[in-house]
Amino acid sequence: MKLTSILTSLTAAAVMATTGATVASAESTLDIVKKRGHLRCQVGPPSPGYYNLDSEGNWYGLDVSVCQAVAAAIFGDKANLEIQSVSSQARFTALANGESDMLSRTATWTMTRDTQLGIDFLATNFYDGQGFTVRKDSGITSAMELKGAKVCVTTGTTTELNLTDFSRQNDLGISNVTFEDYNVRDDTYLNGGCDAVTGDKSSMAGNISSFPVPGDHMILPTTLSKEPLASAVRHGDSQWSDIVRWSIFALINAEELGITQANVDDMKATSKDPNVLRMLGAEGNLSDGLGLENDWAYNIIKAVGNYGEIYEAYMGHGPQGIGIDRAGSLNALWTDGGLMYSPPMR
Amino acid sequence: MAIVKATKTPARSAPISESSILGWLQKNLFSSAFNSVLTVFTTYIIYLTVNGVYIWGFADATFVAETRRECYGNSLTGACWAGVIDWLDNIFYGRYPREEIWRINFGGILLAFWMAPLWIARAKGKVLVGASVVVFYPFLAGYLFSGGDKGLFMQVMISGAIVAFAINMANAIAGLLKQQSIVRLVIGSLGQTNAADKTQRNLLIALVAVGFGAAYLWQSSWTVEFVTWTKWGGLFLTLVISGIGIASALPGGIILALGRRSKLPVLRVLSTGFIEVFRSVPLITVLFMATTMFPLFMPEGFVLNKLVQVIIAVVLFNACYMAETVRAGLQAIPKGQFEGAHTIGLGYWGTMGLIIMPQALKHMIPNIVGSFIGLLKDTTLVSIIGLFDILGMLRSISKDVPWLGLHKEPLIFGAILFFIICFAMSKYSRHLEVKLSAGNNH
Repeated sequence: MKLTSILTSLTAAAVMATTGATVASAESTLDIVKKRGHLRCQVGPPSPGYYNLDSEGNWYGLDVSVCQAVAAAIFGDKANLEIQSVSSQARFTALANGESDMLSRTATWTMTRDTQLGIDFLATNFYDGQGFTVRKDSGITSAMELKGAKVCVTTGTTTELNLTDFSRQNDLGISNVTFEDYNVRDDTYLNGGCDAVTGDKSSMAGNISSFPVPGDHMILPTTLSKEPLASAVRHGDSQWSDIVRWSIFALINAEELGITQANVDDMKATSKDPNVLRMLGAEGNLSDGLGLENDWAYNIIKAVGNYGEIYEAYMGHGPQGIGIDRAGSLNALWTDGGLMYSPPMR
Repeated sequence: MAIVKATKTPARSAPISESSILGWLQKNLFSSAFNSVLTVFTTYIIYLTVNGVYIWGFADATFVAETRRECYGNSLTGACWAGVIDWLDNIFYGRYPREEIWRINFGGILLAFWMAPLWIARAKGKVLVGASVVVFYPFLAGYLFSGGDKGLFMQVMISGAIVAFAINMANAIAGLLKQQSIVRLVIGSLGQTNAADKTQRNLLIALVAVGFGAAYLWQSSWTVEFVTWTKWGGLFLTLVISGIGIASALPGGIILALGRRSKLPVLRVLSTGFIEVFRSVPLITVLFMATTMFPLFMPEGFVLNKLVQVIIAVVLFNACYMAETVRAGLQAIPKGQFEGAHTIGLGYWGTMGLIIMPQALKHMIPNIVGSFIGLLKDTTLVSIIGLFDILGMLRSISKDVPWLGLHKEPLIFGAILFFIICFAMSKYSRHLEVKLSAGNNH
């Protein structure tokens, strides 16, 4: 994903130095959000699958649904939400300086970011990885066959560095053809300006679906890097971290328990599974530590559905989806061999 | 011996090379072998370009479709204008609620009517028209666009705007029909022409006060739904930012320019420092500072309005550029003008306001309008800091799943829009120049 520029680190570090003390002593983020009446959730400039604008001017996407889930958990209504679109240079600063309450965008969870920028990463909502797209008729079936190839890549991102590393490791002599905008990158590739494109597999899958003949292209199985895309909050407010983290876990847990947007009312009323009843607030007092109403998880599922439904709608094959198969990927539930796993909610 | 011909020789017709199309062609396009080759070659290039654009943009293009895939189904190589058409509301109004868009349109029409007298030669009191637009229109438009509760000050300004607008319209009509200002017309029709000036003035003030009272009562019944600035976008946002920038950059620039030429050291140093600091940094830096660093200096939980910060940054930045333009105009005024003004007993403000500034600004019209056009185009930088102005919207089309990857058509559409707006501004400046310098073309 996008490289943490020196500017970002510097400003974020400056923020931490100047405001670290005041954040801890001020009132809790939950109180601030409740008093304000809406959640400020940060996404990036539109990116297919994660956060896009439709022609009516509404936001939609996987990360937008996470924002809506947290808003629903707090207010019982996903509409109490302001989506902030912030450029990637300013993203961590805008979170650290209090402009955004949380960040839900394609930010890769790395150790430096988690430990040095005054922010905490909470839960991964999408496992991505860098890969290559090639033309099917090129005969290339493995990234190792890209010897001496020209590869199109967007500049200023870790993607570019990973590509250079990969080329050096395997002595492939790949030459980088760099672009600022990935639309131009794809046009160049389609017009034969390079032999392959490298980028995050999820976004490339989306891009391929927009090519004139998608069937002519394929993504190679090789994965260059781990890109766990996670939500983040400001460092120092554990209650707020818990709310965001468990809102995401609730989405995953609901899928595991078979709770969907359509059957959540039935499940709450008629289910005999104590796990379901506890989670939906029909019994027990799971929400006490979060400072939310007991039906917080019910509100989440009622508002946006479970993780599987969200994935299908925006990443999968729904009308607004970019068509990435989930089965067999890291984003499948752990019961299906993926990495989507929620600690038990009890 | 008659050496004088008694009859006038009839004029010979112009030579064929001057009067016929063929002659023109020969003279201008095929005067030599080299020129003929150039002509043929250039014509071929033009043909290729126009034909290519025509095939891509019209012949093979798709205008009605639900998704980009449908466009591909129609033609793999043609343009897909359907995506742009689908997004027109976003491009023009941003995320503004669709059922409230009439407010933006109404605001625009209101402004057009308000400014119309400036173009009508027969209307009187153009300075008042301009001043009333700058003073009152922003409040009326601000309320119209953002809505919600209005405070007392806002109510007063809105009432003022209504009265000013009404007077303006009446004045324009009076000017058109009777070639008189509305003041003269009212006084004349009331039969008070011979009364003392004071009586006339009091009468007018009374009339305006009655109008103001009525307007106040009328507007207090208005209610329009609150629309937060985060929903503003598209061309509307671009025009709001650049409109405010343009309207305030000139006065700001004049003040700064006078400050820089002032004989008072403190004023001069402050103005110079301000101008140099803002001119020495790129606009994008100013914008980033305003939106990202500024909140750090504010108390915790301070509610920020990014739009206001951006507008302030744009205004300050452009006032500094304008100041240098105005100063250049002031430098060009010969010393004799100052001395002449002093001779007839004018003080500093009289000299500047009546003698120097009108000449300086007139000379600088091309530069000033050039700055305005630059300002309009510069405002697209705000898309980088997360406001969805027209460029932000145009670039977002390629990320919307039905139109994934559609990026050329929106940008071309945007280029056409910008060309229309900038060309109109440029044309108007030319018109203004010609009008103001009528009689001293040199």
